[in-house]
Amino acid sequence: MSETRQETEETQRSQDGATGAHLTRGTGAEPPPGSTPATTRGAPGQGEQPGKGRSLTADAWRELRRNPLFIIPMLAILLMVVVAAFPQLFTGKDPRNCDLITSRQPPSAEHWFGVDLQGCDYYTTVLYGARPSITIGIVTTASAALIAVFLGTLAGYFGGWFDIILSRISDIFFGLPFILGALVILTVLDNRGIGTVSLVLILLGWPTMTRLMRSSVLGNRDADYVNAARALGASDGRIMLRHVLPNAITPVLVYATVTVGIIISAEAVLSFLGVGLELPNISWGLQINVAQSYFLDSPHLLFFPAILLSITVLSFIALGDAVRDAFDPKLR
Amino acid sequence: MGRYVIRRLLQMIPVFIGTTFIIFYMVYALPGDPIRALSGDRTLSPAFYNELRERYNLNDPLVIQYVKYMAGIVQGDFGETFRGRAVSEIIAERWPVTIKLALLAFVFEVIIGLLAGILAGLRKGSFIDNLVLISTTLVVSIPIFVLGFTAQLVLGVKLQIFPVAGLGEGLMSYLLPALILAAIQLAYLARLTRTSLVENLRADYVRTAVAKGLTRKRVVGRHAFRNSLIPVVTLLGLDIGFLMGGAIVTEGIFNIPGIGQQVFQSIRLQEGTVVVGITTMLVVVFLAANLIVDVLYGLLDPRIRYE
Amino acid sequence: MATSMTETAGSPRAAAGGESELLLEVENLNVEFRTRDGVINAVNGISYDLRSGETLAILGESGSGKSVSAQAIMGILDSPPAFVTDGSIRFRGEDLLQMPEDQRRKVRGRRIAMIFQDALSALNPVFTVGDQIGEMFRVHQGASKKEGYDKAVELMDRVRIPTARQRVKDYPHQFSGGMRQRVMIAMALSLEPDIIIADEPTTALDVTVQAQIMELLSNLQDELDMGLILITHDLGVVADVADRIAVMYAGKIVETAPVLDIYGAPAHPYTEGLIKSIPRVDLKGQKLVTISGQPPSLGNIPEGCPFHPRCHRRRDDVCIPNEPPLYDVTPGRKSACHFWEEVLNDHNQ
Repeated sequence: MSETRQETEETQRSQDGATGAHLTRGTGAEPPPGSTPATTRGAPGQGEQPGKGRSLTADAWRELRRNPLFIIPMLAILLMVVVAAFPQLFTGKDPRNCDLITSRQPPSAEHWFGVDLQGCDYYTTVLYGARPSITIGIVTTASAALIAVFLGTLAGYFGGWFDIILSRISDIFFGLPFILGALVILTVLDNRGIGTVSLVLILLGWPTMTRLMRSSVLGNRDADYVNAARALGASDGRIMLRHVLPNAITPVLVYATVTVGIIISAEAVLSFLGVGLELPNISWGLQINVAQSYFLDSPHLLFFPAILLSITVLSFIALGDAVRDAFDPKLR
Repeated sequence: MGRYVIRRLLQMIPVFIGTTFIIFYMVYALPGDPIRALSGDRTLSPAFYNELRERYNLNDPLVIQYVKYMAGIVQGDFGETFRGRAVSEIIAERWPVTIKLALLAFVFEVIIGLLAGILAGLRKGSFIDNLVLISTTLVVSIPIFVLGFTAQLVLGVKLQIFPVAGLGEGLMSYLLPALILAAIQLAYLARLTRTSLVENLRADYVRTAVAKGLTRKRVVGRHAFRNSLIPVVTLLGLDIGFLMGGAIVTEGIFNIPGIGQQVFQSIRLQEGTVVVGITTMLVVVFLAANLIVDVLYGLLDPRIRYE
Repeated sequence: MATSMTETAGSPRAAAGGESELLLEVENLNVEFRTRDGVINAVNGISYDLRSGETLAILGESGSGKSVSAQAIMGILDSPPAFVTDGSIRFRGEDLLQMPEDQRRKVRGRRIAMIFQDALSALNPVFTVGDQIGEMFRVHQGASKKEGYDKAVELMDRVRIPTARQRVKDYPHQFSGGMRQRVMIAMALSLEPDIIIADEPTTALDVTVQAQIMELLSNLQDELDMGLILITHDLGVVADVADRIAVMYAGKIVETAPVLDIYGAPAHPYTEGLIKSIPRVDLKGQKLVTISGQPPSLGNIPEGCPFHPRCHRRRDDVCIPNEPPLYDVTPGRKSACHFWEEVLNDHNQ
């Protein structure tokens, strides 16, 4: 695949031949630094303001703190994470305490979300469903990001045969439509728990972030500050770690934020298709999978996990947008 | 330009081999008995089992298996289902449906997505810009199957504007699924168009164009647009590849008998050959789309062409 | 104020007795930027004139407001966030700021043209140079595409781009920096404008190329009897080409003078500092002279004399409460310093 095009295009490769869970798409994220063709202009002469930490991170953080589009999604995510970690805080009931007779009852005072197929309190089961979904989202993204940062920095900084091989390998993964690839692998696997599904998603997801990191590092590698550091005698390792990395990592961080939401969505899709998590794991995707046969009669079975899923994904994406805008030096 | 195309083509070959080999490896070489996996819950007689092993070349070394498999693919032999039906036949039957759906979705996507993106980009910060931003964020976040179900429920069952499922009513049957399929693509397209346009409107060459005394219409319509459309067009090219691939979820929800639904069903029925066969073909389609997009990009951006 | 500056201006054309017209009169121009973080006073009441055949250099550091004032003349400032809050810009007697936009657009590019600093980003990357130069003729004169290309070749020849006919269908990124800048110049002078504003035209170029470009501009100006406003921060570039200099600081003009006068005897501490800080080959082994401190943020201009925090001549009781007006130093020279006499005397020894 044309590396130049990928570098100048946003990382919006749709590899999904099927469901629309665009696991490698940004949401209109800016291209990595060093690749934008046009230079731009803004308000002039802001001059020096000694005493105020004007580093990009400090600026970004200041702006984020004031931005409701950052605060609200952040709070929502924190809430979801707490729910995932300690569902007991939000519901006194035991998810396994089920009474078949009450199966599929609509929402009521006693059962806020109604009752599911097995007669369990839906509010409780949906809340418990948060854990696998969010865990997979965060673990997958964090792992893929670590791999991406490591490989991408090495490839971008040193280039050479390592870079070429890495590029060919990720090309191969790019050629594989994401959901289809996940489908094929997961179909032949037997015991699909959180770990397995995460591994598969990591396997299919690392190329995009690695590509992004690599081009970001490439853009920074020839920067003057790197030459300056080298002239002062800094070793390659030090330059990479202390100089290039902090600057190059920003687009990857932004992308990672959005990716968490996308991975959560992907897991839901895969579970919906029947190749994701298996019982006894509950995830929102699985719940929706079960609910689809009954959605005409008992729409609440579909509705509640769908709402929570949507809100979670939405929060991550909105968060990613806000972070990206805050870190965009051109908007200063 | 020609050299650029040839270079891309040559680069594609190892990628094709690599990708198809991975698929092959995943199905036939992962731990576990591939025959068991392919046959699912069915129990097989020992004789049939051995026959299957022979037929699927499972007694050969892996690389030979792969070569034989690919040789078969090149000749159009995608293998057979367990009931002996040729996978290629199934594909030939289902693909036209998916193509119709894809084309319709593409039309929706281009018209609505481009329009929304352009309007939002030209009027940055305005009401319509915020409207586009919010709605696209929503569409992207809500999983497609939720969108699909809700649309089916509200527009199909309750309001009865569209048929609920199946292909019974000709063109009308394709409309709602195409819209849902287009929805997410269109959201990304609108955002990309908007971002690209906004960025280019801020660019130095736009300032120069204004300084040349050109009308606003010309500055935006000729100079800014041409640059803005570069990433947009490449995205559209990729989208065609994606749409052609078949939309598993959409076809599943609306019961459209296309490639996507076929894969959906085959997974449930654990028909491994169909899944692998279709996936291989989709990879080809996808790689072709990528090649076209690479070429397009070279055509549109002279800086790439002359590298 | 305006007329006194131009009567004894050092324009060679005027001195030789030729007719030079008054092309541009900028009077009390004020531009501010209204941003989220507050108001930035980019240009604070500047005035200058330009006659045909004359080169006026506007000298200043980044953030002095020099580019903004030029863009205000062209009318290409993004508004919002930029707003012209006061003043007039008279081109051949007519105030550009009062003109309706479609009329103003006719002046832009045709009668007053601009050259920008970075030709690579200032030229559209997806159109050929012939297309972009030819566009001037197609849009302003209704020429056909072929006619546009032919004219482009002529112009490229005129700015001394070798093998112009072969290169007219090339793209900007295929040219070297110096050649690209010539393309920009060709584009700017295509309709033979009365005034060219060159905003740091050589800053991004190598020194030898700089000299060539400046020579080219100078020759073209003579050929076409144009007025040239040269915006720069580089004193060296200015010495050869300019007739007069206006030094800008914090959005104001702090000194104007004919070129030769300023180098020998500046009348403002800032100018003095600039000249002193040019490294000199004949003073080897001594410390480099600098102006202490930093230029002010345009959102936060010091009260009184804007230069006072950095000035070694300042007297708090005078310089802080009183903003210095442009004092007449001699006919043709002005300085915005309460103690301009001292500065002048220090150098007239």
